[in-house]
Amino acid sequence: MTLHPISAPVDSASEFHKIQSRPASIELKDISVAFKTPKGVFTAIKDIDLTIQKGEIVALIGHSGCGKSTLMGTISGMTQPTSGTVIANGNVVKGPGPDRGIVFQNYSLLPWLSVYQNIYEAVDSVFKGKTSAEKREITEENLKMVNLWPHKDKLPGQLSGGMKQRVAIARAFAINPSILLLDEPFGALDALTKGSMHIELLKLWNLDNRNKTIVMVTHDIEEAIFLSDRVVVMNNGPAATIKEIVDVRLPRPRNKKDIVHDPAYMEIHDRLMSLLFDKFSIEDD
Amino acid sequence: MKKLLNLQTYLPLLFGVGSVVILMGAWWGISLLTNHEIPSPLMTWSVFNEMLATPFYDYGPNDKGIGNQLVSSLIRVFSGFGLGSLVAIPLGLLIGSNKTAFRLINPIIQILRPVSPLAWFPLGLLAFKAAEGATIFIIFVTSVWPTLINTAFGVASIPQDHKNVAKAYGFSRWKYITKVIIPFALPHIITGLRLSIGVAWMVIVAGEMLSGGVGIGFFVWDSWNALSLEKILSAILIIGTVGLLLDKGFDWLQKRFAFA
Ligand SMILES: Nc1ncnc2c1ncn2[C@@H]1O[C@H](COP(=O)(O)OP(=O)(O)OP(=O)(O)O)[C@@H](O)[C@H]1O
Ligand SMILES: [Mg+2]
Repeated sequence: MTLHPISAPVDSASEFHKIQSRPASIELKDISVAFKTPKGVFTAIKDIDLTIQKGEIVALIGHSGCGKSTLMGTISGMTQPTSGTVIANGNVVKGPGPDRGIVFQNYSLLPWLSVYQNIYEAVDSVFKGKTSAEKREITEENLKMVNLWPHKDKLPGQLSGGMKQRVAIARAFAINPSILLLDEPFGALDALTKGSMHIELLKLWNLDNRNKTIVMVTHDIEEAIFLSDRVVVMNNGPAATIKEIVDVRLPRPRNKKDIVHDPAYMEIHDRLMSLLFDKFSIEDD
Repeated sequence: MKKLLNLQTYLPLLFGVGSVVILMGAWWGISLLTNHEIPSPLMTWSVFNEMLATPFYDYGPNDKGIGNQLVSSLIRVFSGFGLGSLVAIPLGLLIGSNKTAFRLINPIIQILRPVSPLAWFPLGLLAFKAAEGATIFIIFVTSVWPTLINTAFGVASIPQDHKNVAKAYGFSRWKYITKVIIPFALPHIITGLRLSIGVAWMVIVAGEMLSGGVGIGFFVWDSWNALSLEKILSAILIIGTVGLLLDKGFDWLQKRFAFA
């Protein structure tokens, strides 16, 4: 399925083309993941093939339990695929690495460390060559970015869900990875905070000349379209596969208020809606 | 409303008084039944007061104040307990995080743990050629097990989430131990220490009965030889109170190091 925006601005297609011609950042080759459970082997995802270019923002969308986190886990190296290969930045993924920053779905903060220490320890671990003053500066910068500087001395147990999520985001950003893997990073945030986090994410991406690759799981169709270059829609599990990849050829910078009136936006939105919610379209893979 | 609040604040005190009354009543009853062969609370009270009036007198090796006896016992307990903890905590961290170490060491723990610490006393005598060393040795053995087992259990139950953070951000071994394993296991470690000190305080009385010298256990034995049951009963109350204070101390530590 290809989309032909009705009124695509000239630079939109060419910008898209530019991305397509960039080197691959992540290559998923025939990835399957099966879990051993007491009831036997459970295949979560099967035969996933996907290449993500450097600097691309890709949204991963699909029903709960279909295997999005599992797929993210194979890219981050936290989960070893049962078969297939993952290549990140030209290297076969054998485990986690500092080139890939992860925001876990459940935040995964260390409950005995303050907000500040949670980020500092990650920074300290990744930037071994930097002085402690530099590392403190990085920590401070990232905490300020997510507006948590006033809360830096709190323990995770004293934070709201949204605040925890922002600490996790700041931690992933702080290690300045070339690939950011975000598993429902904005799920627990209110619309307002979510909006400003979207801007921060794009700012960060722009700051680095759009060289960072971002893969993000979301349940929010509007968010997926606003942020990404492609939306990967997954089938329901078990043995989930990629159902369809929808290109989002909307020019950047995008304006949240304006793009919703863009016919191309509406077309993408409709397509995603029907892929996710139309019962009849479930069989069309 | 105010009256209710008052009742609420005084309730623990009332219960405290109640339990003292029950204890004294039972004690008095038994004393009556044995024709005061077991001294009554009142008879004990005067001896108890006498003991506490001059706790630190020293009239030679066989006649020392109750304070001296307590201090000697506490020094022994804390020496043995300290040494035991120094072995138990690192070993617990090791077997909790390493399956091979666990499988090698766990059977040894299972066999040695049920053995009464007093059984080690002769070996202690053999090794240290002195009752003092042997007593500390049995306290050492006593305090190892609960701390070792709780530490290992704590480390082994670290949630996958915490391990994932360490893995994802490439924590060094040292960082993993100091920032993940130890903070997570700390409440378990303190629980182990609390159990250990409790058992050690129980064992010291028996140990000192074997070893002689100065100490609360020996004091009990010596009072029996002098047929002073008042002193024995007073010592029991003192041993119980010190044990309670030790337990409260570790309870406080436990609360202090619990993370939200
Ligand atoms: N460690 C595991 N052992 C066994 N089964 C697992 C394991 N991890 C995930 N699964 C199964 O794999 C499937 C996919 O799980 P996954 O967490 O990837 O879903 P998801 O798409 O991220 O869902 P959600 O949107 O709710 O986060 C689920 O059916 C889950 O039960
Ligand atoms: Mg998930």
